Amino acid sequence: MPLHLTRFLTGFSLLLGALSLSSCRDSGGIDPEPTGPTPYTLTVPAGFPTPVIPADNPLTNEGVALGRMLFYEKQLSSTGTMSCGSCHQQDKAFTDGLAKAVGVDGVANPRGTMSLANVLWSSTLTWDGAFSTLETQALKPLENPIELHQPLTVSVSKLQNTTTYPPLFLAAFGTRTITNDLVLKALTQFERTMISGNSRFDKYLANNRQGFTADERAGLVLYTTHISPGSVRGAECFHCHTQPLMSSNYEGKFFNNGLDLTFSDPGRGGITKLAVDNGKFIAPTLRNITLTAPYMHDGRFKTLEEVLDHYSDHVQMASPGLDNMLLTGINSLPFGTHMDLTATEKRQVIAFLKTLTDSTFVTDKRFSNPF
Amino acid sequence: MNNRFPTLLGLLVLPLALFSSCKKDSDTLDSTGSVNFTVRNVAGAQDLALNTTAATTAAGEKFTVSTFEYYLSNIKFTKADGTTYAAPDTYFLVNQEKPASLSFTVPGVPAGDYTGVSFLVGVDAQKTGLTDPVTFTGDLNQANNMYWTWNSGHIFLKLEGTITSTTPSKPLTCHIGGYTDPNNAIVTAAPAFNGAKLTVQAGHTPQLALKADVTKVFDGPNPVALSTFTGAHMPSAQSVQLARNYAAGMFSVEKITTE
Repeated sequence: MPLHLTRFLTGFSLLLGALSLSSCRDSGGIDPEPTGPTPYTLTVPAGFPTPVIPADNPLTNEGVALGRMLFYEKQLSSTGTMSCGSCHQQDKAFTDGLAKAVGVDGVANPRGTMSLANVLWSSTLTWDGAFSTLETQALKPLENPIELHQPLTVSVSKLQNTTTYPPLFLAAFGTRTITNDLVLKALTQFERTMISGNSRFDKYLANNRQGFTADERAGLVLYTTHISPGSVRGAECFHCHTQPLMSSNYEGKFFNNGLDLTFSDPGRGGITKLAVDNGKFIAPTLRNITLTAPYMHDGRFKTLEEVLDHYSDHVQMASPGLDNMLLTGINSLPFGTHMDLTATEKRQVIAFLKTLTDSTFVTDKRFSNPF
Repeated sequence: MNNRFPTLLGLLVLPLALFSSCKKDSDTLDSTGSVNFTVRNVAGAQDLALNTTAATTAAGEKFTVSTFEYYLSNIKFTKADGTTYAAPDTYFLVNQEKPASLSFTVPGVPAGDYTGVSFLVGVDAQKTGLTDPVTFTGDLNQANNMYWTWNSGHIFLKLEGTITSTTPSKPLTCHIGGYTDPNNAIVTAAPAFNGAKLTVQAGHTPQLALKADVTKVFDGPNPVALSTFTGAHMPSAQSVQLARNYAAGMFSVEKITTE
């Protein structure tokens, strides 16, 4: 065979091969570019929904590591004194122990810091669902005058002028040029790794419903039971704080839980401008609830006992738009007017809520301050 | 030359092998299409708008709806000769609050002319009752807030709102479920094509537009008076009555569009 024909065939074969390889890409074929960030492997607890990660911000080891540094980076605040981690403290399941969050200028926000546990499953963010993606939400506390109070462009130039950050952005995103978009992407990659699914309740479920005390088990039954007056007593918690996330974040639903007759904070109604949504808030996660006091959007209840007293005895039954489950959730008909849990039942529900604390989550080095 | 030839042959064959290994399964299944379902929730003659539409029962009682969700599953297509195709693993949660859920597609439907469709309004007993709940993914996952623990399975249909024709108005709550007798609320709906045909061609996606009338939860073989209705929220005889109502008359076919 003449040499030129050999060359032709070889070249033709290589060309075909290249075409074949590229056509394989979308079906998970051979990746011809071995360089770049390495994919981060999320471990999803049993029974949790399949997480949805934005196609334009896949999790990588380098991106998550960078996000962790940015999360604790105080240069992202105007005063250089606070970071995301100042209000989202790991030992408090990424809350701050305050009724209302306080920013760099000492001004209190209208609402409290929310836990970040399992935030990657939230279809709607913050107490009123103002944001539908973590990337858009993350900008708010950075720039908000009563939070970190610094335009992100200013933060970006501060980071660009360090020797630390440009190489980290290069490793995570292939460029030393830092942008607003890349800062938000790294931060949210880190936030999406904050998974809490290793509480005693999870172990109880995994262990064929073994390992609870009688009170804890009774509390779980009350938590998951709809009241049938005269026959079945319940506490109705599960309607809003839905398993397995123990929140309404996945479904993205908002509720009026009867705190007030009139609303100084319109909650969801402030976003939708619909009267029917006034006084409604997300049902936040009850995972790690013993660590996230005080409770409610404005932190009005200091203890779980106060919270149970509210749902049992003090719900404003005439509050406009009060959730149906609270309107009808009356254990002691015909004469009862509220849920009316007994002291024992309240104690049992609290005993169950205490099993939702995930001690590995709040001590996991992957989420701790790297500085 | 003699020892070079096999090398050349190999160079020629290798990319061909790669090509064939890249071929997707769907390319080889050339005899199926998909069916796209759309659902329009209505209250009688009106489109259902959450919290605002005044729905009216046959008896003239009125209610508004704040939540309306239900599972459609086990979708089955029937041909004129009586043969059927049962689509495997079809579980769809329709939620009036989530527009994306009002449309879903069943893939892998063999080409042919279909004269009927049926589906469960709910989840079959095998799936909801005999499956470890930690394995539920997607629309069946517990986080969708359509599942009862303690061996009760999925909530098949959830209707919440307010009965407004009573004085004072009162909360309306229907959480219908239950998969064991005597309170088995798994029901089948088979909205008629009325002589129309659903033609599935290979590689095509015809559309089957359904309408679901929320008032039929209360109107039907077992009419329910809202004035005395106290709600349904667990497997019960009343839940079964309501399920038989919505199986009988809630769904109708609005339009069949063949590409």
